[in-house]
Amino acid sequence: MTEFQWPWEYTFPPFFTLQPHEETRQQQLKVWTDLFLKYLKHTNKFSLSINEQSLPLFHNESIQRRLSPELILVILEQLQRTGHAAALDKRRQEWQVYWYTLEEYGNMVYDWIQETGQTNSICTLYEIASGESSTQMDFHGVDESVLLSALRLLEEKGRCELIEMDGSHGVKFF
Amino acid sequence: MRRRVGLGAIQQQKLAAEKYKDKGTDLQESQLEQMTKQMDVFRSKLEEFAMKHKEDIRKNSQFRKQFQEMCAAIGVDPLATGKGFWSVLGMGDFYYELGVQVVEVCLAANHKTGGLMELDELRRRLVAARGQSAVHQEITKEDILMAAKKLSIFGNGFVVHKLGKGKYIVQSIPGELSMEETNILNAASNTEQGCVTQSQLMQDLGWTDYRARQSLDKVLGEGLCWIDRQAEEEPVYWFPSLFPGRNAQATA
Repeated sequence: MTEFQWPWEYTFPPFFTLQPHEETRQQQLKVWTDLFLKYLKHTNKFSLSINEQSLPLFHNESIQRRLSPELILVILEQLQRTGHAAALDKRRQEWQVYWYTLEEYGNMVYDWIQETGQTNSICTLYEIASGESSTQMDFHGVDESVLLSALRLLEEKGRCELIEMDGSHGVKFF
Repeated sequence: MRRRVGLGAIQQQKLAAEKYKDKGTDLQESQLEQMTKQMDVFRSKLEEFAMKHKEDIRKNSQFRKQFQEMCAAIGVDPLATGKGFWSVLGMGDFYYELGVQVVEVCLAANHKTGGLMELDELRRRLVAARGQSAVHQEITKEDILMAAKKLSIFGNGFVVHKLGKGKYIVQSIPGELSMEETNILNAASNTEQGCVTQSQLMQDLGWTDYRARQSLDKVLGEGLCWIDRQAEEEPVYWFPSLFPGRNAQATA
């Protein structure tokens, strides 16, 4: 895996303090949300816990600056607004974060199913996310719980049906 | 000579004086004529020179600088007018073009720099924006200063501040920088990282507690700097435009 390219802001000490000036803060949050997504994509992670103090994303050791839990929450809420994150617990400590929005994931999977002629047959979530036939797709490697949320959205639109099978999920597309 | 007396003599003296005067005017006129001629020759020579070296002036930054200095020494501003023989040089065009690019580059970076950019960085960005060929790379800081100064006639939206030690900073947001703000910028530019603290201002500039705090709040309120509350002793105010790490990453 190639080394992650941090933006210059990561070495800029005030980047780790929420800025009081409106425009500066918008700019700051924009860079942070981009950084969150890029970092998680790079490390292929789909969840974040606000308490992961040692995560390099939250802590730049070389300049001894860290994100406060409050600021992490602000960033995650910003991501939630654009559909890139969702809180997993009521205390909003555990988060699911994804590169594409759930809707985008759903559409990608649906288009792929259509193109490969798998409509009306049942596939497992594992097949979609990690199966050999989807290796070229952007959604390949997606976390199964994220995929499940995306498919639930599709289900609401009546484009698929989720089926419980021995504790794991299968899905049938229409 | 025998001294002459009488009315005739006086008249003759008068006549002589007049003749001298006439001669004087004559001389003056001929001198003026000669001067005009010389000036004409000089002008045509300069014109010839400029025509002959037009390409050099446009392309060679060293040459351009020397030509500028020569013009300044004889009190001519090649940019002052688009008319007359200076236009054959296209000097004006060169700087106008550069000026437009300066504005473009500054505005494009405004959201990151808070509207302040160091001259060195401006040059780097300009060079990158102007394309690969050698002609485009050959712009000096003097060229940019010249172009940027011309821009100041559009009002206070575009100003060049001198920070001492040959450092300049170009401001591309409307609004005057007050003396206080300029002083703070100056103090920050003298540090390696481009940051200041309240106590540093009090020490370096002899400011009072209150004045330093007020000024820093103002700079912060204008979005020119960022505040870092995680420093050990007191908040540190950082200017992204002066932060060296910004360019290290950009070029990597």
